Amino acid sequence: MQRYIPKIDRRTAMKWMSAAAATMLAAPKMVHAATYVKTPKGYGTDPDMLNPSAPWDRIMTDRQLQVTAVMTDIILPEEAPHPSPSQIGVPDFLNEWVSSPYEQTQDDKKVILYGLDWIDDAASKRFGAGFVECGADNQLALMTEIAEADDDVRKDFFQRFRSLTLGGYYTTPAGFKDIGYIGNVPLEHYPGAPKEMVAVLEEKMKAIGL
Amino acid sequence: MKQAAPYDVVVVGSGAGGGMSAYVLAKKGLKVLMLEAGRDYKPEDETPMFNTNDQAPLRGVSTPDKPFGYYDATVDGGWTVPGEPYTTAPGSEEFMWWRPRMLGGRTNHWGRISLRFGEYDFKPYSRDGLGVDWPMTYEELAPWYDKTEALVGVTGGGEYHGAGLENTPDSPPGILHETPARRLHEIMIARGFESMGIPVAPMRAAIIQKPMNGRDACFYATSCGRGCSIKAMFQTTTVLIPPALETGNLDIITDAMVYTVDMGKDDRASGVTYIDRKTGEHKTIKAKAVVLAASAAESARILLNSKTGRYTDGLANSSGTVGKYLMDTVGASTSGHIPMLEGMPPRNDDGMSNSHIYVPWWGYGAQARKELPFPRGYHIELGGGQRMPGMGIAGLAGYSNVAFGKGLREEMRRYYGSDIYFAGRGEMIPNEDCYAELDPDIKDRFGIPVLRFHWKWADYEIDQATHMRETFNEIIDRLGGTVTGGKSKDGREAIAKGGEIIHEVGCARMGADARTSVVNKWGQSWDVKNLFVFDGAVLPSNPDKNPTLTILALAMRNATHLADEARKGNL
Repeated sequence: MQRYIPKIDRRTAMKWMSAAAATMLAAPKMVHAATYVKTPKGYGTDPDMLNPSAPWDRIMTDRQLQVTAVMTDIILPEEAPHPSPSQIGVPDFLNEWVSSPYEQTQDDKKVILYGLDWIDDAASKRFGAGFVECGADNQLALMTEIAEADDDVRKDFFQRFRSLTLGGYYTTPAGFKDIGYIGNVPLEHYPGAPKEMVAVLEEKMKAIGL
Repeated sequence: MKQAAPYDVVVVGSGAGGGMSAYVLAKKGLKVLMLEAGRDYKPEDETPMFNTNDQAPLRGVSTPDKPFGYYDATVDGGWTVPGEPYTTAPGSEEFMWWRPRMLGGRTNHWGRISLRFGEYDFKPYSRDGLGVDWPMTYEELAPWYDKTEALVGVTGGGEYHGAGLENTPDSPPGILHETPARRLHEIMIARGFESMGIPVAPMRAAIIQKPMNGRDACFYATSCGRGCSIKAMFQTTTVLIPPALETGNLDIITDAMVYTVDMGKDDRASGVTYIDRKTGEHKTIKAKAVVLAASAAESARILLNSKTGRYTDGLANSSGTVGKYLMDTVGASTSGHIPMLEGMPPRNDDGMSNSHIYVPWWGYGAQARKELPFPRGYHIELGGGQRMPGMGIAGLAGYSNVAFGKGLREEMRRYYGSDIYFAGRGEMIPNEDCYAELDPDIKDRFGIPVLRFHWKWADYEIDQATHMRETFNEIIDRLGGTVTGGKSKDGREAIAKGGEIIHEVGCARMGADARTSVVNKWGQSWDVKNLFVFDGAVLPSNPDKNPTLTILALAMRNATHLADEARKGNL
């Protein structure tokens, strides 16, 4: 596999670097108070809807990003005309996710970054070459191992990594094409369910007594 | 500010109640000032129409900054608002309070479901001895529902219209827009409910199917919760506020956080005082009448914070019921996976953002026969289909036999669109344990005392949530599916938190008796004759039918009454 090159442009990269940490709002000391606490480097409560940006710095090392790219493409290999995840920037999304300052991504940050280092290290120890370089068969063997692992660390890593890869992939226009999402287009008239599909459904409903 | 003071009416709030009030009053020739706590907002300029999740940070998922996801229209708010906390009393169940800070309020992202309350809903106490009756009947409000639906634009008519179900009123012919055709999963779900003897009805939603008043018809794409730049779904910012401004009788000040109603001579309100949220300045507005429509709890907060002269317990509170009888909707949900939907080819399941069907409450007979352990009804909202993928799409891999690699794409295609969900929305009975008061210690960043909520679900609601889960488990089973979330039939576990359904109403209820209510049937304070409450605070009960349409109809009726009284010189 070719070396993965991030799909972000220089302007975006500059924006991340210059994003200033915002000041914390003074929070009342009441335990039960539902108080808004600003997330430093989050996008805030009134972000630009039409020009969205994820203003936080990215924390993956280049090595972690390369491992990510290989893994995402093992999960969903290219099947023409459908591109692989790395061909449409999904590794950048994983980096954006694990770098996010929001609380709900903090667990993923630990699990994913630890997992990336673990699998790279495991490849080096077993095959004398890192995960990126160890060859397709060895990569597949390691992926199979974590997919079938029964310890929480490797199981969580695989599950969360796969979720982020699939979520990252199928939320893109390329992903829509693959999975069969044909909406998000303006229609003059809403057609409802196609007749031939309804006929198939009717047969299936009849089969279970509906 | 263009108009010379004093204004005829100052309206506090710009959501359903405030937007409709300002529209009616300005159209009737009164000079109106609207004060909105949040910023100016124009859906035509800001709505992310057609944007896909990969264009948003974190694929648009919920964060503390945007609790309903990046593209949700809500500005500067959600379950918390920066610098404006609220509290839950020690020992109380948690109450959640959704607030935006924007012109148009929650109408910019609301759920759009627009069901009329029925004749039973106006006389609940007379039927089962619980709660209180409304000081009006369905017949009195019906013409205002007609006018409101005609102005707002409501879908729900067409082929399936006229079901004639008990306590589920139809609209007169010609008002409702035709409901779009059913989606595949909706055809299936309707069959499932019918097999249980439960009738299914066309969804009524404030989305238009034909152009009207400069608004385009729905084009069946891009989620309504983002707002609607083509104005197909009802928002006060596209439907009511622009025509009100065109009359030349309405001025609007945004970032104006009203915290007190000021009193003049003879027990009359002289206007309101607000804090400019940008500068922190306090400013006073004079008006001949004051309309509060800041949302149920916020309107109560303003009254409780208006402690002038002899009103030591807050204004308009001689009954002691300001803040009392706070209600939300009972909510419980369940999701399921339906094998017969697997492998169906791609189809466009976008349609309206809402489902095209819903299930009105079917158990009036069973309740009359005392066969159910809870006295009031719930309706069922539902969903499914091949909608625009979000991060949740990854869950489909859980059904797959292929963990990764070749074959996984095919599995994802096979399972896409085979999940469905159900959400029950039920009537809560007002109780003494659910109310809002001023917190004795906590103040917001402007130094104004905040609300402290008290909450406790009663057995009526918990038993109803149990029944919801039983129904959802049964329908999923009848469809040959498996429950994937929300399986437990323990109502205590199933029930949403107070406020979580965002139908909080009550706190300044209307009634026929000044000793037990805050306002009369015109939304007029018993104590202060030129002070009116025109939002959800006035609801004496909270039927299962989502409250916004009724808030709009009441505001239209009561603002018309206010304008008529003004014309007679009675303001």
